[in-house]
Amino acid sequence: MKKPKIINNSDDLPTSALSRRKFITMTGAGLAVLSFPMSSAFAFEGKKQLASPKIVWLLLRGALDSLHTIVPTFDQQYKTLRPKLSTSFKSPLLPLEKGFALHPSLKNLHQWYQEKSLLPVVAVYSGYPKRSHFDGQDYLESGKGEIDHDSGWLARAIEVKNKRALAVSRSTPISLRSSDQVNTWYPSNLKDADEDIYAALDKLYQNDESLRASLESGLQVRGLVGDKKGKKKKRQGKFIDLSKACAKLMVGEQGVDCAMLELGGWDTHNNQGTRLERNLAELDQGLAALKSGLGEEWRNTVVIVGTEFGRTAKENGTGGTDHGTGSALFLAGGAVNGGKVQGNWPGLKAEELFQQRDLMPTTNSFSWIANVLSQHWHFTEQELKQVFPHVKPYEQAIIRS
Amino acid sequence: MSENSMSSTIISRANIAVNRFGYGARGDELAQAEKDPKQWVESQLKPIKFNGDFPHSNTILIEHAKYQKEKKRQKKQQRKNSQSRNMQDKKKAKNFSRIALRNMSADTINQAIASSNSVSWRLLDFFSNHFSVTAHGQLMVGLSATLEREAIAPHLLGNFEDMLMAVEPHPGMLIYLNNEKSFGPNSRMAKKRKKGLNENLAREIMELHTLGVDGGYSQADVIELAKGITGWSVKRPGKERGEGFVFRAYGHEPGARKLLGKTYSQKGIAQGSQMLRDLAMHPATAKHVCYKLAHHFVAQNPPASLLKEMQATWLKTHGNINAVMRCLFDADDAWLNSTQKYKAPREFVISTLRALSLKKYNDKALLSTLINLGQQPFNAGSPAGYSDDELDWLGASALMARIDWSTKVSGYSKRVNTEKVMSRALGSSVSELTYRSVLRAESRQQALTLLLMSPEFQRR
Repeated sequence: MKKPKIINNSDDLPTSALSRRKFITMTGAGLAVLSFPMSSAFAFEGKKQLASPKIVWLLLRGALDSLHTIVPTFDQQYKTLRPKLSTSFKSPLLPLEKGFALHPSLKNLHQWYQEKSLLPVVAVYSGYPKRSHFDGQDYLESGKGEIDHDSGWLARAIEVKNKRALAVSRSTPISLRSSDQVNTWYPSNLKDADEDIYAALDKLYQNDESLRASLESGLQVRGLVGDKKGKKKKRQGKFIDLSKACAKLMVGEQGVDCAMLELGGWDTHNNQGTRLERNLAELDQGLAALKSGLGEEWRNTVVIVGTEFGRTAKENGTGGTDHGTGSALFLAGGAVNGGKVQGNWPGLKAEELFQQRDLMPTTNSFSWIANVLSQHWHFTEQELKQVFPHVKPYEQAIIRS
Repeated sequence: MSENSMSSTIISRANIAVNRFGYGARGDELAQAEKDPKQWVESQLKPIKFNGDFPHSNTILIEHAKYQKEKKRQKKQQRKNSQSRNMQDKKKAKNFSRIALRNMSADTINQAIASSNSVSWRLLDFFSNHFSVTAHGQLMVGLSATLEREAIAPHLLGNFEDMLMAVEPHPGMLIYLNNEKSFGPNSRMAKKRKKGLNENLAREIMELHTLGVDGGYSQADVIELAKGITGWSVKRPGKERGEGFVFRAYGHEPGARKLLGKTYSQKGIAQGSQMLRDLAMHPATAKHVCYKLAHHFVAQNPPASLLKEMQATWLKTHGNINAVMRCLFDADDAWLNSTQKYKAPREFVISTLRALSLKKYNDKALLSTLINLGQQPFNAGSPAGYSDDELDWLGASALMARIDWSTKVSGYSKRVNTEKVMSRALGSSVSELTYRSVLRAESRQQALTLLLMSPEFQRR
């Protein structure tokens, strides 16, 4: 296997990752300018390709609940299945066609929809048949119809087209493994761990009083949890920062052709209304930051937003949802032929659900992604086979010509 | 499973063998220990040998002298020619000591991470902390890391007396506790140059290294021991021929000494040596060191019966550390089947990297991690060493730092199969809650972070 080269300006890296790193500090965020020794020839000697089509792959880890994101307001079953969740929105839903509506936190995305540069796809899945986060994510990242920890679909795609990619991550995610045209970048000083980890640890420490006490006072010191008066959490916008940095590394003569971002926090088994309100806003603002950072390049960009699987159609007993099957996919960007809702709605009646429980998937995520590759990066059928050996692209015109 | 407190998670004997007595399982060690946990621990006691890749304390003394000389020369030159400061900066002598400290500190930890007998490395760390030296001041920066290599490791499984006799005259210890300039008030040296007694080393020998603070010695005993070891000094390279330990007879307090009721009429170096040998074999020393060992390896409050057996073994075997440790492993009291201690940062970091089967971790990253977590090698700042008490490590910000580091490490370990790591590190000794939390985490990174931060991994 070809080893991806890793660049990171953190000094806290295993030895192997530190070798061959090169830094040039850029203004502001202290970004490292990426260097690709293997490709420097074409990077410098080639003609300027300011209009090279770009792809951003954003993986939402933890299984986004699509029914709470692209709400099927027209479906009679929706309110019956979700009496609490369907009334948890604090402001009006943002209308799409066919009676679908976006979560009110997704203001920017809705704006793009109106500008026809957002294409939501409902009831998709990767083909992964079970409900484990890890396996589900691995499956979606490898894109082979089976899990291959050493090869990802995006890596195979950039190999075919001789493109360069960036993972905004500490180590290369599966999606970008098996290519040597991949760099990783991550801010050097991670100040705080993800908020979700604190909540998970708080739960984990329920039987260990001293660990729990230390954790709780530690969180108070950092201002991450409210005090007794219920003050709001302080920390916000980490994803925004990553998106901004990602955009910076994609523009200009040496900008990469594609990038991968990750965002967690979607495993909403409880308190989903509040959590998704916050998380979707973070997603929305992050993508807006990516757009403004990309500037002119936004016109040539497709952002693919996916998640490993969906969640139960019915809400559970703790104001949340459990692991399911069918979910949603978003295509966003100036290059997208959007402004409509794609995918076939399967319905939410018991017999219409997968195993009488989950949203039934009606289309395959990889076929949509393959469609993006063929229309945006001009993959031939033959070339697509090297990326997704098992799927055929859909033929809808999802990219502007 | 665990309804009320941590203690309700029963931990297996193999888990105890690997985690309580060693630095945690690397590879399939837990499975190896499964067959006969006690036998496995005992087979872990193997001598530790450092190779000669790093400078000896004598070399460091020489390099330090050179460095001082160079600095002096530069200062002089700078004064003469203050405009070409840039040039001088470039020529600045390389700081040999700092590099040596960093390399040796990281080397010890990396060897512990990679070791297949981590119980011995834990034991080395215990005694290194028992005879704690701090890298403060130019000279100690270079010398501090050499003490465990030159004086402690060679006697790790031998008699405590021999270890003590190697540690106290080591340049690192003599300089750290100021004995190299301690001279008898009635010595020729004192008469000529008005130099006097320094009690520092003598007091710490009795309070920390041997008898313990309640070991029954008086201030008069401190002075007597201090006088007994006057003249135990270190050569000054460049000014004297040779390097390392030197006995300066002209600085030794003449006459017989009386320590803990016993008279020492030996002459010269033999006097202090005999005092140290007797201190090593004093019953209070057996009590003190056995307590510290049990407190470190077994429990915050080690059972009295265990302490009694260890002390008896100590006295019977002339303070043989190997025998005392085997006695500890032999006692049922050492195998209490609930977790007893919270890992110190160094243990946490080493056990994490072992669980992930990393071969080596970047030196700089390793040391900065330990600084962040509060246990920088050779930086305890006190001859008492780093605390071995849970309360000193389980603070809020210390815990937050652990969470941050775990998150960081987990971010680098995307390929790791957390379920496998969990089973290899902890075996079946995992509460239902932890097991479920880890398996249901929303990402691999979160799963691994939860595992590393779980009570079962944080405690032993």
